[in-house]
Amino acid sequence: MKKLRAFLDQLTGWFRRRSRERDLREEFESHLQLHIDDNIRAGLSPNKARRQALIKFGGLETAKESVRSTSRMLWMEHVLKDLFYAARILRRNPGFAATAILSLALGIGSSVAIFTVADNLLLRPLPYPDASRLVMVWETNSHTREQHNVVSPANYLDWKAQNTVFTEMAGFFAEYHAVFSHGERNEELDTQVVSSDLLPLLQVQPFRGRFFTREEDQSDARVAVISYRLWQRWFNGDGSVVGRVVQINSRPFTIVGVLGPDFYFQKRSVDLWLTLGLKAGNATRMGRWLQVLGRLKPGTTVQQAQTQMTGIAGRLSAAYPENNTGWSANVEPLRDSLVRQVKTSLFMLLAAVALLLGVACANMANLLLARYTVRHREMAVRGALGASRSRIVGQLLIESLVLALAGGFLGIAFAYLAVRGVMHWAPQELTKFANVSFDLRVLGAGLAISMVTGIVFGLLPAYIATRKNLRDGLHANAVSGGGDASRGRTWLVGAEVAASVVLLAGAGLLFRSLVGLQAVDPGLDPKGVLTFRVSLPGARYSQPEQSVRFFQQASEKLAQIPGVESAGAVSYLPFNGMAAGTDFRINGRPPAKPGEGLGTVVRTVLPGYFRTLNIPITRGRDFTNTDNVTTAPLRFIVNEALVDKYLRGEDPLTKSISVDMAMDGNPMGEIVGVVANQKEGSLDKEAEPTAYYVHAHLPYTAMVFVLRGHSAESLVEPARKTIQEIDPQQPIADVRLMEDIVRETFARQRLSAGLLVVFSLASLLLASIGIYGILAYYVASRTREIGVRVALGAAPGRILRLVVGSGIRMVIFGAAAGLGSALLLSGLVKGLLFGVGPRDPLSFVVAPALLMGVAFLAAYIPARRAARISPVDALRAE
Amino acid sequence: MKDDPRKADVWQGTMALMVLKTLETMGPLHGYGIARRIEQTSGDRLLLNYGSIYPALVRLEQEGCISSEWGVSENNRKAKYYKITATGRKQLRKQAGDWAEAASIVARFLAMGGNPS
Repeated sequence: MKKLRAFLDQLTGWFRRRSRERDLREEFESHLQLHIDDNIRAGLSPNKARRQALIKFGGLETAKESVRSTSRMLWMEHVLKDLFYAARILRRNPGFAATAILSLALGIGSSVAIFTVADNLLLRPLPYPDASRLVMVWETNSHTREQHNVVSPANYLDWKAQNTVFTEMAGFFAEYHAVFSHGERNEELDTQVVSSDLLPLLQVQPFRGRFFTREEDQSDARVAVISYRLWQRWFNGDGSVVGRVVQINSRPFTIVGVLGPDFYFQKRSVDLWLTLGLKAGNATRMGRWLQVLGRLKPGTTVQQAQTQMTGIAGRLSAAYPENNTGWSANVEPLRDSLVRQVKTSLFMLLAAVALLLGVACANMANLLLARYTVRHREMAVRGALGASRSRIVGQLLIESLVLALAGGFLGIAFAYLAVRGVMHWAPQELTKFANVSFDLRVLGAGLAISMVTGIVFGLLPAYIATRKNLRDGLHANAVSGGGDASRGRTWLVGAEVAASVVLLAGAGLLFRSLVGLQAVDPGLDPKGVLTFRVSLPGARYSQPEQSVRFFQQASEKLAQIPGVESAGAVSYLPFNGMAAGTDFRINGRPPAKPGEGLGTVVRTVLPGYFRTLNIPITRGRDFTNTDNVTTAPLRFIVNEALVDKYLRGEDPLTKSISVDMAMDGNPMGEIVGVVANQKEGSLDKEAEPTAYYVHAHLPYTAMVFVLRGHSAESLVEPARKTIQEIDPQQPIADVRLMEDIVRETFARQRLSAGLLVVFSLASLLLASIGIYGILAYYVASRTREIGVRVALGAAPGRILRLVVGSGIRMVIFGAAAGLGSALLLSGLVKGLLFGVGPRDPLSFVVAPALLMGVAFLAAYIPARRAARISPVDALRAE
Repeated sequence: MKDDPRKADVWQGTMALMVLKTLETMGPLHGYGIARRIEQTSGDRLLLNYGSIYPALVRLEQEGCISSEWGVSENNRKAKYYKITATGRKQLRKQAGDWAEAASIVARFLAMGGNPS
């Protein structure tokens, strides 16, 4: 410890000049004193003697400054000389330099890339002033344990009226699509329908014009706010767009404002904002579909808001037991609600990248240490020639800084490419329209990390390498002078091995989850299916019959397109966004108590939907065209999950059900068929009970068509033409392949698994470089000993075992430590796994096994070289 | 360093040579003694600010030509003594040779300029 402190003192002396300054002052004083003494001896009065001495000296300050600038210049010369020396040394050892630079570039590049993506998508402050006070307010259900349920409009209005913790509360509906028409152009746009308080609540300013007034909201005035993107794309940024009348869903709307270029709320793809028009008269208590945002009053905590909202919700449950039994409220900071789903995977990735960076640094330190031991003699010679220890350490430090900075710059270049790759693989919900930019903070941090790495991991080896009296290096054998160093290196490699095992085990778990997800039967056949949405404007299709006629006609015509095998449509695809849910009753059973209703997902389909997606009908029959007529009797198809949950052991085909969709009194309808399950939402979720209406009995105006054909991609234009033959103003939207939609559901898992696999392989590579380096050094330093053994008759196999055995201990210890840490850590990623437990034996066997295999290979190469040593050469080597 | 840099370079080189020579002849000496000695040796034709000797001393020490140590002067004053090192002696011989050669070339050159033929 003492030695270390002395070392640090010396090191700081390299930079510090205080003591030198004091020395100089004393020297000048003594100079003057000597001169004064002489002058007095020559007969001058003390005063005169002093004045003369000062004059002769020529200005104390000038002289000091002159000395200072000389030593500054000398220091610069040293640094420059060291830099040139470092560059020359590195150029002479390109293998060493390249390995060190590349391993560091790998570590820094991955960190910068992951951090850039994370920062852009999740960590950057939300683009609203004082965003930490923004919260989402959800309903919660004690029965289903749902914590983030959308809200019923009447409850929202009561919350808004009764709370005292929010300065504002606003409601919005984010899953809306509107057909926007201007001139000849018609397009369906992602739209948010918002209460007039929402945009002011976010405290954003209109870029042009204004936002909605309360009166406009309440009176359902036909006004719209558009995005900057839409303003540029459709109106070329024309300033007169405010006040212009456009058609939205075939009704005239006036554009009152444009939002700024950077504005987005929840989804970046939204181009249009319309008013919600909720008021006491039309807000229902039944049916939950609204999202609610609030801004906390200054000084109010989330906890206080939660307490009050729980109280309000409790009173509402008591007042409206029919709709509110079991429902309460949940206050969640807006940021938490946005990152809720990706938080775990993001933290896991950041941790993984930190591990990789650690391995890269250890590798760099390992390489430097190896070089310093080899250069022990050179250091000793320099020491003997009068170079101080701090001068030598300074020179070593400059070498490692040169390496670190080269690694840092290369790493940033690598990160630049990697970010593009990551964005390509990342889930679209995150990256759609996201504008990932490299910011100077992150780049600066990357360079800072490389500098720190260079200093810390350059000093550590320099400390070890120069700890022994430098002169010893001259007496001792040049290669055997590094006992401390090789122990240090063994530790470093052990740590690298441990970190690699952790990464490999994590990658194994995620990879197995991904394989598991890909093997999940989605319950439908997505291959060769094209999907697109058609949203009919209510103005031209105000009667349900018109919409029923349009979709029936469209479906028949689409099925006739050459190359189309079958066509159908559904209100919401099973893997794409939300689905409507409600309660239902079974004929012959007593009505359920409030809060204990039978829940089901509700979809409406056109005949042909099940056939097109190859969803098997397990009992009964499919809907036919004769069912899809308003006058036909009400019939339902349900899925297996509904039968399993509510009709177990009964024949569903003899049952009638009533589904609460508030349409014509919800009469009972016969179940005519049962279909196989599809997973709801994403592949790792279980299938939900689902009841299917035929479109004529639940005539949604927006439906998603599905077309099966030989080459689904080529059907886009014919489909568009077919729709526009029926209605020339009708656009189609969200054109996607069903396969992509299914794949998108595990995009997040794919990204995490892919990145972790890359990280762990990189780490494995670095660790094996470390192992190889240590053993190659071991062989080089024992060439003579091995030669003697061979001369005395040791078989090559024995030598091989000797060398491999000397390296394998650190690998075994490292692997065991890594395995232990991985077992401890794996519980944290439980939420990311599917189909495998966090202690999945396969992952925990394969990871260390793979590492041991690679380690053996890395050890084998130097070992074989040792086994082939000819005793004659070996003894001559000295 | 405050003068024209070219002149300063020449001056610095010359000063270094004179310091080394002084230390070789006189043995260990403090800065004041070195400066006095240089002035005396020049027959008081070279009048220097004593302060200007120190940058040269710093440089020489950094280059390893001289080493320094605090000591006590003959009249009992604390003073920093400079001593020429082996490197310094080598440097002195080399520079003295260079200087003599340069001086003789310049002298011959100037002599030629005086007699146009």
